[in-house]
Amino acid sequence: MYFPLTDPWEPGATLGEHLHSRGVSRRDFLQFCGEMGAILGLSSLLTPKLAKALEQLQRPSVIWLSLQECTGCTESALRTSHPTIGDLVLNLISLDYQENLQAAAGSAAESALQQAMKDHHGEYVLIVTGSVPLAEGGIYTTIGGRTARDILEEAAAGAAAVLAVGACAHFGSVQAAAPNPTRAVGVDQIVKDKPVVNIAGCPPIADTITATVVHYLTFGRLPDLDYDHRPLFAYGARIHDQCSRRANFDAGQFVKAFDDEAARKAWCLYEVGCKGPATFSPCPIFQWNGETSWPIGAGHPCLGCTERMFWDTMTPFYQRMPKVSGFGIESTADTIGAALAVGATAGVAAHAVVTGVNRMRHRKEGASGSGGGGPDGGSASHEEDRHGQD
Amino acid sequence: MARTKVVVDPITRIEGHLRIEVQAENGMIADAWASSTQFRGIEIIMNGRDPRDAWAFTQRICGVCTVVHAIASCRAVEDALDITIPPNATIIRNLVHGMQTVQDHVIHFYHLHALDWVDVVSALKADPDRAGQIARSLSPWPNNSGTYFKAVQEKLQKFVSSGQLGIFTNGYWGHPAYKLPPEVNLIAVAHYLEALDWQRDVIRLHTIFGGKNPHPNFLVGGMASAINLDDTGTINAERLSDIKALIDKALVFVEQVYWPDLLAIAGFYKDWASIGGGVPNYLAVGMFPAAGSDFRDIEHLYFPRGIILDNDLTKVVPYDEQKVREEVMHSWYEYQGAPAEGLHPYEGQTVPNYTGPKPPWTFIQDQEKYTWMKAPRYDGKPMEVGPLARMLVAYASGHEGVKALVGEALGKLQVGPAALFSTLGRTAARAIETVLVARKMEDWYDDLVGRIKNGDVATFNDQKWDPSTWPATARGYGYLDAARGALGHWVEIQNGQISRYQCVVPSTWNCSPRDAEGQKGPYEASLVDNHPLVKPDQPIEILRTIHSFDPCMACGVHVLDAEGDLVTTVKVQG
Amino acid sequence: MNAGPGGGGAEAASRETRDRAALGERPRPAVHGYRWVYLWHWPIRAMHWLAFGSIVVLALTGFYIGRPYFMTGTGNATSYAMGWMRFLHFAAAGVFVATGIVRLYWLFAGNKFERLPALFPLRGRDLGNLWRMVKKYLMIRPERAPHYLGHNPLQQLSYTLVYLVGAFMVVTGFALYGLSNPEGFFYDAFGWVRELLGGAQGVRFWHHVMTWFFVIFFPIHVYLAIRADVTELDGSLSSIVSGGKFVREDLEFEDE
Repeated sequence: MYFPLTDPWEPGATLGEHLHSRGVSRRDFLQFCGEMGAILGLSSLLTPKLAKALEQLQRPSVIWLSLQECTGCTESALRTSHPTIGDLVLNLISLDYQENLQAAAGSAAESALQQAMKDHHGEYVLIVTGSVPLAEGGIYTTIGGRTARDILEEAAAGAAAVLAVGACAHFGSVQAAAPNPTRAVGVDQIVKDKPVVNIAGCPPIADTITATVVHYLTFGRLPDLDYDHRPLFAYGARIHDQCSRRANFDAGQFVKAFDDEAARKAWCLYEVGCKGPATFSPCPIFQWNGETSWPIGAGHPCLGCTERMFWDTMTPFYQRMPKVSGFGIESTADTIGAALAVGATAGVAAHAVVTGVNRMRHRKEGASGSGGGGPDGGSASHEEDRHGQD
Repeated sequence: MARTKVVVDPITRIEGHLRIEVQAENGMIADAWASSTQFRGIEIIMNGRDPRDAWAFTQRICGVCTVVHAIASCRAVEDALDITIPPNATIIRNLVHGMQTVQDHVIHFYHLHALDWVDVVSALKADPDRAGQIARSLSPWPNNSGTYFKAVQEKLQKFVSSGQLGIFTNGYWGHPAYKLPPEVNLIAVAHYLEALDWQRDVIRLHTIFGGKNPHPNFLVGGMASAINLDDTGTINAERLSDIKALIDKALVFVEQVYWPDLLAIAGFYKDWASIGGGVPNYLAVGMFPAAGSDFRDIEHLYFPRGIILDNDLTKVVPYDEQKVREEVMHSWYEYQGAPAEGLHPYEGQTVPNYTGPKPPWTFIQDQEKYTWMKAPRYDGKPMEVGPLARMLVAYASGHEGVKALVGEALGKLQVGPAALFSTLGRTAARAIETVLVARKMEDWYDDLVGRIKNGDVATFNDQKWDPSTWPATARGYGYLDAARGALGHWVEIQNGQISRYQCVVPSTWNCSPRDAEGQKGPYEASLVDNHPLVKPDQPIEILRTIHSFDPCMACGVHVLDAEGDLVTTVKVQG
Repeated sequence: MNAGPGGGGAEAASRETRDRAALGERPRPAVHGYRWVYLWHWPIRAMHWLAFGSIVVLALTGFYIGRPYFMTGTGNATSYAMGWMRFLHFAAAGVFVATGIVRLYWLFAGNKFERLPALFPLRGRDLGNLWRMVKKYLMIRPERAPHYLGHNPLQQLSYTLVYLVGAFMVVTGFALYGLSNPEGFFYDAFGWVRELLGGAQGVRFWHHVMTWFFVIFFPIHVYLAIRADVTELDGSLSSIVSGGKFVREDLEFEDE
């Protein structure tokens, strides 16, 4: 007889090992699995699968690749508060490769990676931070003498799920900004045969990263995604529509210059270039670093860092509209538009003057020639028209 | 006896991608090469951008020292446009930079460096009560109890016996180079875990002023976080008291955990006080302008500017940025028509010229060019930068706080000042600096509150915000000493746009390759300075010395010239 | 098509009578040497003025939304200035879209001056006439300019461009409108616009920039209308109110 209280399941042992140590034979175990399957309404064909799943009830393997990047996303992950990074690494997952934290280096690290990929083939979660530089055959980022692309392709092949964490893995981020000298691309440009979840942001909020992992571990599936493959639970609403300063926007209360009276009243940053109206991100709701604050909360406009190519589409950061290429920074769309409108008006006025002058000349000619044009006053075009019919 | 070629790639527990190759002979390292294997080209991307946006771009050079490039960039633009920021903004930047330095150093010590000295598995054999006694003898930290250490040990036991070691997989556990008794290992492991929670909390100071961390927001001309004691959405008494609590929390941990741990662990590794010195020249550009003064006022920096040559602590040589040159003899770049001694950053060229083997490769040490790092030289000499350089310059300049703590450390370890020029000295200097900065933050906070009390709430100077107020061309230099060493940004502005952007950063100095005269860079020189390597397949000694520099590779690899040469020379392949 | 002054006039007159009867309009008085032709049915005229009004409101409120040129309130959020501006913008946008729908319908239901083919100068002769119209406005041999009852090829082109820009504004406007509700209809239905223009910022930029098209178009349009009225003395300015204009009986018209 098995008494849970007197025969504790050793921490760390798999269920299979535990039952074995309690004298449960493999045959008994499979029989148990079959019965469990019947209760759950599963086909008996699934019994071996169920047995395998139960036997291997271990902390799931997570492999974290750092490619062409700044390590800000790893730093962000370190700031996660629920779960804490300690809890995550020690209790929830088995972080089998993470260059910034792991003890081993060089070949010892590489062999840990190879071992994890082999042992958990088809089951591990692959987290990628950083982009993949494609120019010149990938020589702009190599690890252990191999290119980032090579390493990513190998690791992605055996992954159950791929999480592209941060703007670099999402679309290449700052190194992919024009003119993208190293031809950096995001993970979904390389990994095409399985879903890639983009956890957008430069960096993403810590809890968004960990919550996506927890979602996968808890519910056994990836969260639902938006059109850019970002999880809806985090990126499903626009900053502008969740902003604590939205009431000031609606009221027409705007910061005109930093540290002005309006800024000291925490009014809306729309006019100093806030990209909240174009950005889908959980910043106003989740907030940063244990719900301490968030960029707009601290008085700075949103940079729009969760949106693809934001370094090009959201800049200049302190202007609402993107820069007009080919013109100086001051030549915004409005000054060009206003200049054209003034030009059109001036052109029209000039045209009117010339028309008037022509008409007067024609009228004089008409007066000396035919002696008046009747009730219509002998308009210039009238004269022209007569000529036209000659 | 034949030399053994050893490759360590990736060097883990650093920022970025670093490859170290050495040749080992009779248990010692005979020769060494440091190769940076990542290139991003951020300065090219800066070309044509709004200078007020530059801080955000350059900030993304590095997410670990996440504020230093942003501050250097703001200062470069402020220098170019002749903007003086309000005193409150200087204090806030000091607080943000200060907390960055403190938090970064602590993370470095516990999470990046400690595993080189601390055998995690050995902690399982420790007597928790005995660990408690030792810890209590070192500091009054409230968690120094046997019960606490027992709980940590059980947690560790559970983790290790799961058979899934995660980030601790394939560590060099049991290596003879580990010297700590199990109890000290257990204390260190406990503090490894505590520091994980601590770093998450104290960095909230960045979030209060900058909205987020990593990559908090900055602003050319000041800071965006307005002060108004009578509004809910600004810096008010609630925010200020949170800031105060965070500063206190940072200081207590540094004084009661980090500093005692450093001294205790160092006591078991005194042999490392004569290993890994390397380049005898040290450069600091200075750090933390005094509140009320400006970063251009180099006479009133908290940590002074200067150079130590040939390990001579009796003399501080003034720093002249005109004497900086960069060479590319052994880097994957080429200069056209440049003198052998290299080019000053203002004349810098960047034409990538990759000549290395086609990946995947095995060795790179036979190559003439072997890294994406350039080789910066000051007056023809390689320079080490970082906390050790700063503490040496401050020490030689007569900085009271530094002299007191250096004295305390040397006294407790019973070694002379020469011990500073070593792997251990580097690690100790970082802790000394952390204590001093953590203490200094209290002063800055008091200063900020005092100014607010006197009615000064300005955080931003908008006189030069509008590009129409800018000169047609302008050029500026922004600097600071980042956590990892001397940092400089140079910006050139033409018609409201960036026309040239350059950064010279700490890890370029430290991870520099050889120069034309064959002088090794600091990493390389330190690895051949009385440096052991007992088991080439477990290169823990290499990690100790390299980690003592706190490498930050993303910072080091950059392009010095934003003129766009690169774009035309890169051959794009499919 | 291009009938002489006599027969064509009679034919036009009978059509005119029919159209008038259909729309319940009063017959026009005859003026010596001129005849009155009926061109624009009331839905077209109503569309024109409603579109004009809505564009004025859209541009004014749009520019405020783009750059709030006045501020309200000194305390906390007690006014609703931006809220009202956006409300007016969306309401006017509704009117504008309605006029667009009417115009679309009338492309098929209208007379030959209003129907789809009248939007494009596609006949061989139109292209030559287009060039002659351009020359007329450049004051190069204006006497050679052709005569049209409805829109001349240059007008066709420019008004078609107005329709296209209007449609562009509607599409980009809905793409921006959709952002506030990612689960809503407009978000999905106009997602392709964001994709095409490089994200929400691109859409916002072009939506904003194209407003200037209307601002620039306005003085040119008004001037040319007045100019035609003054120089031709045909009442073409009032045709967009009354629906018809006087034309000289002795002229031939390309589109009669």
